[in-house]
Amino acid sequence: MLFWIKTAALFLVRSSRTSIILTLMVISAVSCLIFLSSLAMGVNDAMIRNSVGLFSGHISGYNIPDNIQKTDLAVKGVANVLQRVEVIGFLHFKDQIEKIVLVGVEPDQERKTSAFWKKTIKGRFIKKGSIEIFISEPVAKRLGAKCNDLISFSLEPGFKESQFLVAGIYKTGISQLDTGIAFCDIETIKHGTMENYAGKHKYFWNGAVFLNDGVDLDMVLQKFQNKIPDHVHFQTWKQLMPDLEQLISLNYFSMSIVIVIVFIIVSLGITSAFSIFILKSIREYGIMKVMGVTSIQTVSLLCWEVFLINIAASIFGVIFGIIIVSVFQKTGIDLTAWTSHNQYFIVSGVIFPRLTAYSLLLPPLSALVFSLPAAIWPAIMISRKNAAEILRGAG
Amino acid sequence: MIEIKGLSKTFPSGRGVVNALCDISFSIPRGTTLAIAGKSGSGKTTLLNCIGGLECPDSGSINSFGINIHTLKKKQLSLFQRQNMGFVFQFGNLLSFLTVEENIAFPLILNKMYCNKERKERVADLLEKIGLPELSSALPSELSGGEMQRIAFARAIAHHPKILIADEPTANLDTKTGHKLIELVFSLAKQEKCTIILSTHDQELIRFTDKIVNLLDGRQIKNE
Repeated sequence: MLFWIKTAALFLVRSSRTSIILTLMVISAVSCLIFLSSLAMGVNDAMIRNSVGLFSGHISGYNIPDNIQKTDLAVKGVANVLQRVEVIGFLHFKDQIEKIVLVGVEPDQERKTSAFWKKTIKGRFIKKGSIEIFISEPVAKRLGAKCNDLISFSLEPGFKESQFLVAGIYKTGISQLDTGIAFCDIETIKHGTMENYAGKHKYFWNGAVFLNDGVDLDMVLQKFQNKIPDHVHFQTWKQLMPDLEQLISLNYFSMSIVIVIVFIIVSLGITSAFSIFILKSIREYGIMKVMGVTSIQTVSLLCWEVFLINIAASIFGVIFGIIIVSVFQKTGIDLTAWTSHNQYFIVSGVIFPRLTAYSLLLPPLSALVFSLPAAIWPAIMISRKNAAEILRGAG
Repeated sequence: MIEIKGLSKTFPSGRGVVNALCDISFSIPRGTTLAIAGKSGSGKTTLLNCIGGLECPDSGSINSFGINIHTLKKKQLSLFQRQNMGFVFQFGNLLSFLTVEENIAFPLILNKMYCNKERKERVADLLEKIGLPELSSALPSELSGGEMQRIAFARAIAHHPKILIADEPTANLDTKTGHKLIELVFSLAKQEKCTIILSTHDQELIRFTDKIVNLLDGRQIKNE
């Protein structure tokens, strides 16, 4: 077998021009497919990152009692936990009134981790320790309020009112975040300002848990469920946004179809190129047949040629693919122009391609699988024809 | 002894069936040289191909040292050719991707003859005998027509075959080079006790051989 491997290697090395062209073809096919499948992963990542990063986090916890601290949720794999406290009440401005959920947030932590504050269209986001409110554009329009206006909040119409300065107005384009909701500093709700609420009642908080990249969602959820009492309810982004999960599955499916179609086209090219490469040298196989090389040995030689050229080209193709993906992983591909009105790219339209075992292994394996048949049929042809026919045909 | 009896071969063509060989019979004792002579298109190459097992006749038999080669299965025929035959064609037909040394060693490796060291010695010895020791690492594309034919002969006899089949080996060489080559090959083949069958239309060359089969339009016209 070693003799045939050596002969195949010599054949490839000494037919350098043809080998280089064929190698370049496989390299470009493999690297392009690696990039394409990494891009598909990147698009899905961007949709998840945008959707969970805007506000909800990867896992949302509801009705967490105040004896459970943020640090209790900071298990391995958790990047940050954002504490939020909600009260339902009414915003008043001049003669206008709007029912809202007032969400107390930690301004500094929100700035660090979530992204909804980046959707500010007027003014700025609230500051820590301030008695400020951050309202959406539709709420501001209905109330007729602008930045720096003083607006009032009460738990029920006619109840004691608290005054808030409108620090900023935002617009996310997502109805759940743009209607019936406003934000203020969490301390305003927890202590002091909301006298008829805070201090009298034990508060419950909601948590937005943000995970590090690549951390298994279910594993973290399991840790929470082991650690936190049963009445605290946790939801993953998949449960919270089933439409997104479905869209990602659809994206995987459609991208897989695209990749398969691209690969079939590329593979036909590879198969044809290999067949031409082999048939171009058919005389050499005819000469070997004259010298008593058996059909099995011819098949073995052809397969080794295809295998060796594929291995060499695939190694370079994978390296080249990794380099391309790494470059774009650092810089990102800005598709904002095509995603700016899409809710799944609400924060950023920049795609960062991501390599996976699937995207790295599938292209070279497929190149090999598709090119081996290219060796089989010339081999069958050579073994069927007698040597004289081959030599006559090769003229 | 090689015995050919009633050999016939036809080819389909656009103008109908062509009788390439018609009822050819002759025998060649071991160690002798035979020339198959005839004009272009007389069936010389077809006859050589049939004797070498490269082509299957329509009828008749070829008994090569006790074996009817056309009754052999594909693999057995390959093994028979590998062990007992050496071929030289008009254009040398060296393997273009192997060096001169590797080309000559190819049938030795196929036949699992000699260890590495002995194989190298055998190749060096043959290169010495054909007067081209300095070309061992050259590729066929770097050789002249005469050099290529000499190396093709060296490769054809490297594994001590019983039969050497040469199809117009001097057709692409000038007369002087061609005759020198044939003298060399005949002397080498005699040392190796090899039966030589060659086709040619060179009347000068025919004088070197022990026996002649003349062909005209696929028919044997004279047997000496």
